[in-house]
Amino acid sequence: MLELARVQKELQELTRDVKVSGITVKPNGDSLSHLIGTISGPIDTPYEGGSFLIDIVLPDQYPYEPPKMRFITKVWHPNISSQSGAICLDILKDHWSPALNMKTALLSLQALLSAPEPTDPQDAVVAQQYLQDYPTFLGTARYWTEAFAIVSTLGIEEKVQKLVEMGFTEALVRNTLEAVGGDENLALEKLCSS
Amino acid sequence: MDSKTLIDGKSVDCDESEENISEFFMCCVCLDILYKPIVLACGHVSCFWCVHKSMSGLHRSHCPVCRHPYHHFPTICQMLHFLLLKMYPAAYKRREVQILEEEEQMGIFSPQLDGSSFESKQSSVLSSPSNVSSVPCSASEDKVCARMQESESGFISQDRVRTSSMEENNLPKTNCDGTCNEVSITDALCSACKQLLYHPAVLNCGHVYCETCIIVPEDDILICQICKSPHPGDFPKVCLEFGKFLEEKFPKEYALRRDAVEHRRVQLENKSSTACSRNASENGVQSLFLPGDEFPTLQGKDGSMVHLAVGCDSCGMFPIVGDRYKCKDCVEAIGFDLCGDCYNTQSKLPGRFNQQHTPDHRLELIKLSDFTHNLMLGIVRHLEDGSPFLPQYAFEDSEDGSAALESSVAQQSSDDSGVAPVSRDTGNDEDQSNEPSSI
Repeated sequence: MLELARVQKELQELTRDVKVSGITVKPNGDSLSHLIGTISGPIDTPYEGGSFLIDIVLPDQYPYEPPKMRFITKVWHPNISSQSGAICLDILKDHWSPALNMKTALLSLQALLSAPEPTDPQDAVVAQQYLQDYPTFLGTARYWTEAFAIVSTLGIEEKVQKLVEMGFTEALVRNTLEAVGGDENLALEKLCSS
Repeated sequence: MDSKTLIDGKSVDCDESEENISEFFMCCVCLDILYKPIVLACGHVSCFWCVHKSMSGLHRSHCPVCRHPYHHFPTICQMLHFLLLKMYPAAYKRREVQILEEEEQMGIFSPQLDGSSFESKQSSVLSSPSNVSSVPCSASEDKVCARMQESESGFISQDRVRTSSMEENNLPKTNCDGTCNEVSITDALCSACKQLLYHPAVLNCGHVYCETCIIVPEDDILICQICKSPHPGDFPKVCLEFGKFLEEKFPKEYALRRDAVEHRRVQLENKSSTACSRNASENGVQSLFLPGDEFPTLQGKDGSMVHLAVGCDSCGMFPIVGDRYKCKDCVEAIGFDLCGDCYNTQSKLPGRFNQQHTPDHRLELIKLSDFTHNLMLGIVRHLEDGSPFLPQYAFEDSEDGSAALESSVAQQSSDDSGVAPVSRDTGNDEDQSNEPSSI
């Protein structure tokens, strides 16, 4: 049984200091076990300016087991799979502690964006590039950020595709996007709350 | 009423803002007010169930906050329990109802603290009874009780409580001389020096002492002066949250105590080495009292058995390493078990989960066959690598499964090889301890 009281408290806390942390977590659908988090790309990194969506699934044993997190937004980073968005971070695995929470985990992901760990890679190709040809890595990472994570540069089709990837139907996504004037984040919020 | 506040998160906040719960008493795991608090040897506090659910049944556990390793499930700190009950009756009552509901679903219950056991243990220590739940108040505490009842009944109407407490000039959060407030100094006395706790540290048995009042016999095990139970594991660190709370609540008295203790410490140091706790911790001798830190490996020192997911109901060792005695007469699903040491030495206390164990129950020694033992160790090793739990996989995978089995067999034949996993473990710990700060 998921401890709903704790998850609710976490969400309240996140709402309270959203202005400071810049981190949001919204339920994806009715259940509190599936959520979507947003972090902003850290300054002075190729991820700067980007807004990254994280798929969060809370197992029944949460908080005694780590939340399952995955990048929805495509990102070029040695510890994040460029294909699946899978994340290699110890606190999301065996170094999890029940005193950690979604906010601290998302903050850790933000820190991971600032400080890649290419010696313990999730994506071998990216890690190799990072180690052997750092300028190219920076370029690619920047390009991916601009292509996928910076909302204003997204064409309507990409926004649709992104939201569909999150599990909403295409028709619903198109309607919602239209209703909010094409703002992807607003659309997501609306989709989640509906 | 209570169940309503449970479900609706917002109304909970209302009640708690009314009681103004100190941040020191929020559990870091459930993010609610501590319920049946347990203080770990590292000084961090959590609820009974939050600690228990955070523990690992496979090997030693780590503190959720600082990842300090420990092997024994401590007993509830009754002093904190009754302190919280007294200060925040509404919130504490809500938690009681909520936890009881969960316990009924699980079919396992936390110990009932009716106050009588606390009373009998503490009666010699406390001049006036500190327990308000079942014992009539002494004259000096009548006022406190009156205020308590008011706030209990008044937590329907916030205004009433506020006005009544205003009239009495007895506002919560007002630091006065400690006798007219909700809690008095008599609620927080050291088990040894009978004065206000200074730098409180809690033993595995849940009894609270000033850090400096815990005297460790030379090359001997630390034993609680009140309940006579040995304190396994590291020398207890100061429970900082509790200390800060006391300092905030009783600033004058706390400052006086600080002066006294520091003064005595200087004297002691002049007289040169007495077995003072301060010396021990300053020298960095943390695991003085743990007979071998190799305990937390999957195997006992002499290759003894690890009884996975079984804990000792007396000292709290979890999982039990070495001999395990299981009660044949306890009917509770969770059972009643003792480790070898407790079977041989300890008085048989009631269980950790409110089992109705009595001294005339029969206990039997549980033996694991070597095969079962190795099998379990193999699985544990596999689990430790972070792989999903797939028993057959543990054997098919030649690298992990059989290697784990082989190494466990090798360990049984030679004590020295048991060192390897320990060093690997501690290596991890160092990594871990850096982790939260980098977040």
